[in-house]
Amino acid sequence: MSEQLQQIIKKQSTALIGDDNKIDDVIQLVGFIVGEEEFAIPILSIQEIIKPISCTRVPQIPSYILGVFNLRGSVIPLIDLRSRFGLTPQKHTDETRFIVMKSGDDVAGFVIDRLTEAIRMPKKDIGPAPETVSEAETMIDGVGKQSDRIVTILKVHKLLERNF
Amino acid sequence: MDEFEEILQDFLVESFELIEQLDQDLVELETRPDDLDLLNRIFRVAHTIKGASSFLNFDTLTHLTHHMENILNLARHGDIIIDAGVMDVILESIDLMKALLVRIRDTRSDDGLDVSACVTRLDAAVNGDAPVAAEPAVVEPVVTEAPEEEEESDYSGMSDAEVEAEIERLITIKNAEAVAKRAGSAPQASTVEEEEPDYSGMSDAEVEAEIERLLAIKNAEAAAKRASQTSENAVPTPPTPIPAPVAEEPKPTPAPAAQAAPVVKPAATPAPARKIEPKEDDAKGATVEQTIRVDVKRLDHLMNLIGELVLGKNRLIKINDDVEERYEGEAFLEELNQVVSIVSLVTTDLQIAVMKTRMLPIGKVFNKFPRMIRDLSRELNKKIELDISGEDTELDKSIVEEIGDPLVHIIRNSCDHGIEVGDVRVAAGKDEVGTIQLKAYHEGNHIVIQIIDDGKGLDTDMLKTKAMEKGLITEKEADTMSDKEAYGLIFRPGFSTAAQVTSVSGRGVGMDVVKTNIEKLNGMIDIDSELGQGTSMKLKIPLTLAIIQALLVGVQEEYYAIPLASVLETVRISKDEIYTVENRSVMRLRDEVLSLVHIGDIFEVERVFDNSEHAYVVVLGLAESKIGLIVDTLIGQEEIVIKSLGEYLKGIEGIAGATIRGDGGVTLIVDVAALMQMAKSVKSTVGDEGGSAKKLGAKNSASDYCIMIVDDSKTDRTIMRKSLESTGITLVEAVDGVEAMNILKQGDHFFDAMLIDIEMPRMDGYTLAAEIKKYNKYKNLPLIAVTSRAGKADRMRGVESGMVEYITKPYSPDYLMNVVKRNIKFNEGL
Repeated sequence: MSEQLQQIIKKQSTALIGDDNKIDDVIQLVGFIVGEEEFAIPILSIQEIIKPISCTRVPQIPSYILGVFNLRGSVIPLIDLRSRFGLTPQKHTDETRFIVMKSGDDVAGFVIDRLTEAIRMPKKDIGPAPETVSEAETMIDGVGKQSDRIVTILKVHKLLERNF
Repeated sequence: MDEFEEILQDFLVESFELIEQLDQDLVELETRPDDLDLLNRIFRVAHTIKGASSFLNFDTLTHLTHHMENILNLARHGDIIIDAGVMDVILESIDLMKALLVRIRDTRSDDGLDVSACVTRLDAAVNGDAPVAAEPAVVEPVVTEAPEEEEESDYSGMSDAEVEAEIERLITIKNAEAVAKRAGSAPQASTVEEEEPDYSGMSDAEVEAEIERLLAIKNAEAAAKRASQTSENAVPTPPTPIPAPVAEEPKPTPAPAAQAAPVVKPAATPAPARKIEPKEDDAKGATVEQTIRVDVKRLDHLMNLIGELVLGKNRLIKINDDVEERYEGEAFLEELNQVVSIVSLVTTDLQIAVMKTRMLPIGKVFNKFPRMIRDLSRELNKKIELDISGEDTELDKSIVEEIGDPLVHIIRNSCDHGIEVGDVRVAAGKDEVGTIQLKAYHEGNHIVIQIIDDGKGLDTDMLKTKAMEKGLITEKEADTMSDKEAYGLIFRPGFSTAAQVTSVSGRGVGMDVVKTNIEKLNGMIDIDSELGQGTSMKLKIPLTLAIIQALLVGVQEEYYAIPLASVLETVRISKDEIYTVENRSVMRLRDEVLSLVHIGDIFEVERVFDNSEHAYVVVLGLAESKIGLIVDTLIGQEEIVIKSLGEYLKGIEGIAGATIRGDGGVTLIVDVAALMQMAKSVKSTVGDEGGSAKKLGAKNSASDYCIMIVDDSKTDRTIMRKSLESTGITLVEAVDGVEAMNILKQGDHFFDAMLIDIEMPRMDGYTLAAEIKKYNKYKNLPLIAVTSRAGKADRMRGVESGMVEYITKPYSPDYLMNVVKRNIKFNEGL
């Protein structure tokens, strides 16, 4: 487990104290930056977060899939979220991370620009996805509002869905 | 064990497995009576058991399952509703089926249980009548036609023909195991019989009448045989059984026993002397061959673990090589070497051993077909010959088990629908005797099982019409359908071309089973057919054995693994030997012309740099076709563990999977069959060197040149930077070899030269140079050593690792600048 994750967990456990009774109304998310925007996914759908490692290109797949990498003996696809969201790809920096997400049996790694923090968000603060996108197509689960910012919450199963 | 025994064993194992599943399904069905999948599954169980039992001549079981199938078929089509009453009847019939199977297991015969009552109720349910409550009274009228009701021993309840068959069978069973096994199962047999409720319901008079009738018709020999069989069945262990107690033993009710015993006794007397002797031998024989039945899951788990072990071994070998390079000549190396080689040897042996435990010749499956064909041809009144080849082909146990069922269905189909009746064949100008060929062979990474008949072939128009009638496809779909797609229609559930339902086929379930099972194995089915000439079905099943030998090849910076089974040879050719014929690259390989394709064209590899005069050609062979695959480098042979690319990336053309290499990286495995298909449509770029010109492209100003400085000392880097700054060349710094490699790999800059210090932590200059030169695109990148090591040996090593210049510290800034300028051809391009 990376240090960041440990810190995040530590932070959460301290935050947990005192509001146990409200736990049902709160969603725990992990926030990250892709391009200019902040996104978040439920913490339970994250298998792990790792630093970038080398990956192998796979032919005949869309360019947003960078290839496959070896995660302790499993071959896992690597998807660049920048390209997936239509942004220009960027070189990996010191802050680049791979978030390994899982939904059921599907597992994939996603390249993100930078992690922000673990977010505890009351359900009432989460609004629906903007209506401009059709319900079946959207990868957006909802939009979370906090005092100073807006976080787009993504559907993990949609991200892991093969669409080519 | 004779052939019949073997088939019977398989049948029993399979049937009990099916029934186990059936129990769960039925429970589920009660809660969800509308679940079509569930109904289909239950229906298929009945169908499969019927199919197998009919060719094993278990008439009672066939009779029962046939009626069960009928009712389930109606339910599946929604023609009857499964209410509690119907469900009762179905459950009753399934219980009866189980009882019959238990009986077959214990006595090798399905006689002795009455099914007609249940069948009547099944039929009643089919006709929509209120199901009759199960009443034991129904048993009585049956007794005359089913003498099996006799409770003593089922052998005395046999009809003439059955006794004859039994005798024949007994004579053929000389094999030690068989007898030993039967003896062992005898106690079970007797207890089962005792528990059987039907028997006790019989009147004494009936039993007596039956025994008398039977005795009258049986000749002396048969009687002797029967008695010996009885004694054998009933008394497993005592070396000298006395006939009288034997006969009495299984009797549940005292009255019939007293009557039956004397009758049997005289006949049985001669038996023990003849039978006991071989039995003792048998007991000995049984102890020699010891087998353990192991859960396949455990073997699978073992196989997975070994896969991981092989990966670990590969890594260990790689690390050993690295260590060897760095600490050359150290004493501990030898010890390490020994350990590594022992580990690798044992791993390989272990892997082979486990693989062998799972391998079976396919003959095990094929063996039951001659008999099946014989029975079918008689039943259908056709003349059919079966031609088997490749029965020695070994394959994984899991596959052997899975393909049995599909093959039965395909062959039945070929017999019933494919091969015509003799007269029709003669009229069509064909041999009166139809032939079905059954072949098995390896093709690359697959095993192919081919079933070819010379029957009437598939009529695409007829298939489409039928499919439309059944509502499986629309008219529009039918119009746009290719022939292959039309052939595929026969795999749709509910599809059948037979005009009427026979006991052989016509329900439209068999081919559905085929497809489901083959898909489970990740296999492919390829149908070829010519109207009037016959049909060929090719089942292509991957060898699920997870570990294979592969040839690793390199193209630019990428590596691919080619299954060694498909590699015929490798040749090194010069570029002049490649000819272009009609836009395709070819070469002459001895007397043949071999068409060529570059691996980079197949896998869309960006051709950055390629100026070598020579090329390596990997000659791939699959069935009759051959192709030459041009690669940049040959890495070598390696054992690889096939891993799936997962759900997300499955089905990529030309890629069979991935493996993890010794260095922890992922390498893709080439699917040779798909690659050959792709090669046909790929535009060849062999010999096209357009890529390199673009790279060297425009150098319009000094800053377009780029040089990397690799040195661990900040002072040294600053000195170099100061020396070169005046030229305006872009400079990039790295503190050691590892960082330099990373910068190179990132590809942000295109470097014209590199200045490399030799003494550096993590990765020294020599290693760095050697690493860089491994990449094709850096073959011509000038590497300049800048070092305080001035020995001759040092210089030699520098040259060996690919350095072009050797500057010793201290040096004058001008000297450095000149050397650099010379190497990057500075100003020449401006």
